[in-house]
Amino acid sequence: MKGTYRIAERTIEITSVYDRVQQYCRDYRYEGVPDFRISITQEDIDCERKRSEKEQTNVPVINYSDPYLEELAVYRRIAEKMPYYDTFLFHGSAVSVDGEAYIFTAVSGTGKSTHARLWRELLKEKAVMVNDDKPLIRITESRALVYGTPYNGKHHLGNNICVPVKAVCILERSEKNHIRQITFEEAYLKLLKQAYRPADPRAMEKTLDLIDRLSERVKFYRLGCNMDKEAAETAYNAMKG
Amino acid sequence: MKLNRNFISRISDDESILVSGGGAEFSGIVKGNRTFGVILELLKKETSEADLISAMKGRFEAPEGMIEKDVARVLSELRRIGALDE
Repeated sequence: MKGTYRIAERTIEITSVYDRVQQYCRDYRYEGVPDFRISITQEDIDCERKRSEKEQTNVPVINYSDPYLEELAVYRRIAEKMPYYDTFLFHGSAVSVDGEAYIFTAVSGTGKSTHARLWRELLKEKAVMVNDDKPLIRITESRALVYGTPYNGKHHLGNNICVPVKAVCILERSEKNHIRQITFEEAYLKLLKQAYRPADPRAMEKTLDLIDRLSERVKFYRLGCNMDKEAAETAYNAMKG
Repeated sequence: MKLNRNFISRISDDESILVSGGGAEFSGIVKGNRTFGVILELLKKETSEADLISAMKGRFEAPEGMIEKDVARVLSELRRIGALDE
């Protein structure tokens, strides 16, 4: 199976073993000459299974289907290529408000998606999901831009849009809601942990450079939050500027 | 010995960070002081423990035996996470 897609300003031709990944990416279909091509084999799928087994020892990985693992393999290949286009994959939930994006990041299970939902409840149609799980961030001369991608979390919350990033907010659970602006240095380790780290050392170097360049283009915050609507009010009021 | 190509270092005035890329078995970040950073820099080229100690003694003044101990400790940690090619 073969299809061409436009993701984060790049045209990508995907050749897959199964149709599922082609369907998964259908909102990003595009006619054009590819910037790069990805071709998945059964071997890639088997590698993805081994990787998943290693990463998630408490999950019965044996139940993952080959078509699902192929989806993961495709995005991994995209993420490996993207640093060469000044773009990197970042684990977080990106919400756009009034044309500016706020990216919430934290270790899995902290409540990024829950917090993004609180923003949608608070701000109604003003809050538009860019991507609820693994957006791509592109660094340009003057800005950081976040892009929706087909890989937008288990609830498939996201849109095929591009929005300038205003802030990156590190979430931590807390009984009371509080937020403060932090320096890039303070955010750095968390940013490194939440960015996709390519296997290709040159792409890895580029990813670190892109994270450094992000520092000059966005603000960073640390938010301690609970699951009440007040958490969204606290965060939005502090970051909207 | 040399730093494995799957590990990338970032060094500032007061902090040094070693990050593993996706190609490494170890998945994590090691944080250290300036001394750690200097050792990482020296390990970007093929070297030996004796050469590292000698280079460090040229840069830092320290009580007898301390540099040897520091270098050995850093190398042991780098070996543990698979960051050294030997």
